[in-house]
Amino acid sequence: MSIKLQNVSYIYGLNSGHEKVALRDINLEINDGGFIGIAGHTGSGKSTLVQLLDGLERASSGKIYYNGQDIYDKSFDMRGLRAKVGLVFQYPEHQLFETTVINDVQFGPKNLGLPLLEVELRSYEALKMTGIGDDLIDVSPFALSGGQKRRVAIAGVLAMKPEVLVLDEPAAGLDPAGRAEIFGLLKKLHKENNITVIIVSHSMEDIAKYVERLIVMNNGSIVLDGKPAEIFQFEKELEKIGLGVPQAAKVIHQLRDAGALIKGEYITADESAEAIYKWLKNGEYKR
Amino acid sequence: MIRDITIGQYYAAESVIHRLDPRVKVAGTFLYIISLFCFSRFSGYIIAALFFCIMVKLSKVPFRFIVRGIKPILFMLVFTAALNLLWTSGETVLVRYGFITITLEGIEKMVFMALRLVFLIIGSSLMTLATTPNQLTDAIESLLKPLVYIKVPVHEVAMMMSIALRFIPILIEETDKIMKAQLARGADFESGSIIHRIKSIVPIIIPLFVSAARRASDLALAMDARCYHGGAGRTKMKPLEYKRQDITAYIIIFCYMAVIIISGRVLPF
Repeated sequence: MSIKLQNVSYIYGLNSGHEKVALRDINLEINDGGFIGIAGHTGSGKSTLVQLLDGLERASSGKIYYNGQDIYDKSFDMRGLRAKVGLVFQYPEHQLFETTVINDVQFGPKNLGLPLLEVELRSYEALKMTGIGDDLIDVSPFALSGGQKRRVAIAGVLAMKPEVLVLDEPAAGLDPAGRAEIFGLLKKLHKENNITVIIVSHSMEDIAKYVERLIVMNNGSIVLDGKPAEIFQFEKELEKIGLGVPQAAKVIHQLRDAGALIKGEYITADESAEAIYKWLKNGEYKR
Repeated sequence: MIRDITIGQYYAAESVIHRLDPRVKVAGTFLYIISLFCFSRFSGYIIAALFFCIMVKLSKVPFRFIVRGIKPILFMLVFTAALNLLWTSGETVLVRYGFITITLEGIEKMVFMALRLVFLIIGSSLMTLATTPNQLTDAIESLLKPLVYIKVPVHEVAMMMSIALRFIPILIEETDKIMKAQLARGADFESGSIIHRIKSIVPIIIPLFVSAARRASDLALAMDARCYHGGAGRTKMKPLEYKRQDITAYIIIFCYMAVIIISGRVLPF
């Protein structure tokens, strides 16, 4: 699996008199097996970008290739693409509509025209992956709690067996425990089922510790692309575009600015604490 | 996709007409419509058209936006015109073919009727183009206030109207989002038999209803939390107040009415 964007631009309201450029000249390559974060402030174009990946919006100019095939080619199977690239929207629980949880999860695989047995198998599997217990399978999805609803909605996309799972703000509106639960689930899916995961978020804090590659967007362009540790060196630039770096990295930066000799970049609180502890213990601490 | 639909047709501009008190605009449009029925000779149309053109010029709304208002009623327009043409009996018969009889009087009536309809539509179009929906509801609430004495819940109706108007763009956006979410799950809204297509709307309609109900309940809670209790004793953030220009506008409208009525009696055609 590979997705390649070549000079992609997207303009809202083309020829309507009030055009707004959402994406300008994006070049991006996403390869198999990654855990990728796309970070950007509100209106940076990140949501538009993921909708292009799924063929829900059409680029105003430029090309998108999926496994080398031009997705705007007339013979290209767009529904096939949507099965391969599973897109989970922000607040996916708002799309639930069926009478029972299992029926709702089956909607996706049924649309793919799979045999009934396969549909059922995939649906049970997806529910199991997302940690929805057997006791909830025949319950109305509207009777579930917020976190459960979201997991059911994610299961609805997973049941289509996508190669890439794209999630737009998967943790929006959840409490810290719910956030950790969702990110833990995504990490597990990535590791155990070998799914490429792309998370879109405006919060560095949320995604920094999970992703292997971080793409930072601002004003419709990609401004930084690399490993989180590399990207967090640009604290000033990130703050300028309204993102900043995680608290844990910030503490280290501030200590370093004050003259502390701590090398490297640390993302999680534990890593940072460890680094600070080491520095103190080695006696490199001086007044 | 669906987002491209525009509801309400307010055209933002900085003009005298835009600045007028919405009550003047509503009452003025109402009087203008009445004026269209106050004459039966051609001269009346010239005056009505002249007056209208001046108003359009003042409003700075491009003419094509105003003409656009006619499009939805084009069928009705043609239908009425045809009926008037064929079913008006008169003395000067121009064409007689089978059951079709076209008379000079018929043509005259058709032209009059069609013009009247066109002016009626574009006249009210100008009002909605130059007034925001919220101002309109304010104006309607204020103008209908006397009905409170016969126990019509004017404030409540106006409140419902403005809430409904406010929710339209939100629900359109929501529909767009849900549609995309279901498309991402492989839904197909475009192909298949008509039955299949109707069925394919279910995954959009149900989430939409659920979300509308959720929003309504949130809004009700928020209103309750702010002690909303209906219209009695309620003040407005932007109360409607007649200014000098509004009084001038009323005078102009009444002058126009007078001219229309007098011209029908004085002018020879």
